[in-house]
Amino acid sequence: MKPAHTFILTALMTFGILVNLNAQELTAKEVIREADDQINGEESSISEMSMTIVRPTWERTVEFKNWVKGSDYALTLITAPASEKGQTYLKRGNEMWNWNPSISRLIKLPPSMMSQGWMGSDYTNDDILKESSVVEDYTHRFLGEEVIEGRMCYKIKMEAKENAAVIWGHQVRWIDKTDFLFMKAELYDEDGYLVRTELGKEIRRMDGRLIPSVLELIPEEEDGHKTIVTIEKIEFNVPINDRFFSQQNMKKVR
Amino acid sequence: MKNYLLAWRNLWRNRRRTMITAASVLFAVFFALLMRSMQLGSYDHMFKNAIESYTGYIQIQHEDWWDDRTVDNSFTVTDSLRRKLESDKNVITTIPRFESFALASVETKTKGVMVMGIDPDKENLLSKVRDKKVKYRITGDVVQEIENDDRLPEKTREVVSLFEDHSYTNAGRLLMDLKINMDKKETYLPILESHAFFKNGDIQMGEPGVWLGDNLSRYLEMEIGDTLVLISQGYHATTAAGKYEIKGIVKQPVPDVDSRVVYMPVDMARQFYNAGQNLTSIAVHLEKNDEKEVTNTRARLAEKLEQPLVVKDWREMNELLIQQMEADNKSGMIMIAILYLVIAFGVFGTILMMTAERRREMGVLVAIGMQKRKLAAVVSYEMAYIGIMGILAGVALAIPFILYGQHNPIVFKGEMALMFEDYGFEPLLAFKSIDRYFLWQMVVVGLIVLASLTYPLSRIFRLKVVNALKA
Repeated sequence: MKPAHTFILTALMTFGILVNLNAQELTAKEVIREADDQINGEESSISEMSMTIVRPTWERTVEFKNWVKGSDYALTLITAPASEKGQTYLKRGNEMWNWNPSISRLIKLPPSMMSQGWMGSDYTNDDILKESSVVEDYTHRFLGEEVIEGRMCYKIKMEAKENAAVIWGHQVRWIDKTDFLFMKAELYDEDGYLVRTELGKEIRRMDGRLIPSVLELIPEEEDGHKTIVTIEKIEFNVPINDRFFSQQNMKKVR
Repeated sequence: MKNYLLAWRNLWRNRRRTMITAASVLFAVFFALLMRSMQLGSYDHMFKNAIESYTGYIQIQHEDWWDDRTVDNSFTVTDSLRRKLESDKNVITTIPRFESFALASVETKTKGVMVMGIDPDKENLLSKVRDKKVKYRITGDVVQEIENDDRLPEKTREVVSLFEDHSYTNAGRLLMDLKINMDKKETYLPILESHAFFKNGDIQMGEPGVWLGDNLSRYLEMEIGDTLVLISQGYHATTAAGKYEIKGIVKQPVPDVDSRVVYMPVDMARQFYNAGQNLTSIAVHLEKNDEKEVTNTRARLAEKLEQPLVVKDWREMNELLIQQMEADNKSGMIMIAILYLVIAFGVFGTILMMTAERRREMGVLVAIGMQKRKLAAVVSYEMAYIGIMGILAGVALAIPFILYGQHNPIVFKGEMALMFEDYGFEPLLAFKSIDRYFLWQMVVVGLIVLASLTYPLSRIFRLKVVNALKA
């Protein structure tokens, strides 16, 4: 349930807040916190998404439904294609479980599988589970302003702090100046090589909020590889009981 | 008188001496041929074994499959493709395969396995997996039963515990291990069967059943009738997961394969990997599989295929084996070099004797005015005649042996046979039929004779008449 979770988080992050902040007075760290606070501020969400995995010679689309509560609980149900329908993923804290109805097996994803792609996509299991904070684990610095998708954005460089448990060396993020949307992110490894680019596109108002409804992940080292996640439908702050995120429910949720 | 005529008459002046010398050449050629024939024959035989037990002589694959064996490098098989392949005059049929990897899981045990999707019926033409099904299994209980069965010979009851956990695909090996003579088979085999017979099932197209390798089944502690769970990544990164009933246990001679292989019907494998009508390879079963026909058929099939499909022949698919054989061939060549050395001394020794015997005769000839050069020419002719006679006779003698051996290879028994079987080869010593290597042996022996000729010639040119006459 990792990529889905990330998507949600990113989606939430991309929220513009309606608070009337004077951007000029904000520091780089405050801009990032502003966006990040939106995520942590959200109680819960229920969404339907589709994910298209693009490879040089083929592409395929997976559809799924997400239930997310805070940053600890998430449940994802695969709804298409038929051969994979009914699989569920549960995230509780930093553990992830997979239920596969065709073999009636509940599998706890082992550490060795954390770097593998979720459902064959470019999102790794780690992307979903990692607990690092874009605010606390990095130092932030303005690099200037740039226009992305017709929107004026802050360009902020985030250097990982030395003792922080993060996998990236540094990141560069572009954040919309008026609505605090994450428009683009470049993630670099410890040696300073670009590993992946994430793009937020097609900003739409969904359930009353402005969010990029399409997220693209482009891994740098693999030509022609791309994962596109489209948020079809999303509802925020729907009350969900903690007990919803249980192993029993993985087997019967529809 | 002409030199060659003189030489010819000289030969028959002392028949016995000529015969002895010719015989030494004859044996040289004979043994060199037999040894080489066996060496080359066993290589061919091992290739044949390897090829016919797995790859086949020709396969159709996706161009990227051989180097990157992921299910994504499989290809769609249409009826028209199959028809196209099978319409070739040398093609009997095509054998579909779908091979990939998966995780097999039983309760808390997990193991990476090799999934072989096969058509169980068609596969009988090539890898004959059905023949490798376990027929007898000696479990702990079976050991007890046999030890307590006084109908069986004392020896059998003593040794049976050594073979606990062994599986057998045929009765011969079982009887041998249990020290029962083949001629007592009728008496004891039924008794053994009552204890150790292993009830093995079949897999059918369209049924989700699998055969496990013998070692794998032990590792997973699975029996026939249990359910095996397989998990993997399917075609285009889909999730592959399925439950399969274990229908049977097969024993593959290669341990690495035996501890990893899972056979399932090819249609089930496709379904498992969400691979539609795809296959990872098609083994082509040929009517004639000699070198020339394989090359020609390969070329004809290659013309019919479209990108991204390619034809691979057994050479490309067995590179490792070919390299191993080449390394082994080197040691074979050392063996044959030693044989040549022995042969060379044999031939040389005979010629040396001959020269010593004729020293006085040569002294007389030179004394009465024969030129040393003419004498040397005559001796050279003699040697040439003897060499040619010996070589031809040697070839003539070797041919029937080789032809016989080719149709009746030497079959090993006992320990030696076990050693072969453990490597997955038939325990027999094959002969290679008449081929280019014949020429080489003839040339080499000819050269040995030529080299030996330097001795009588040097003796002639250094001949002191007075000393020679006294000899």
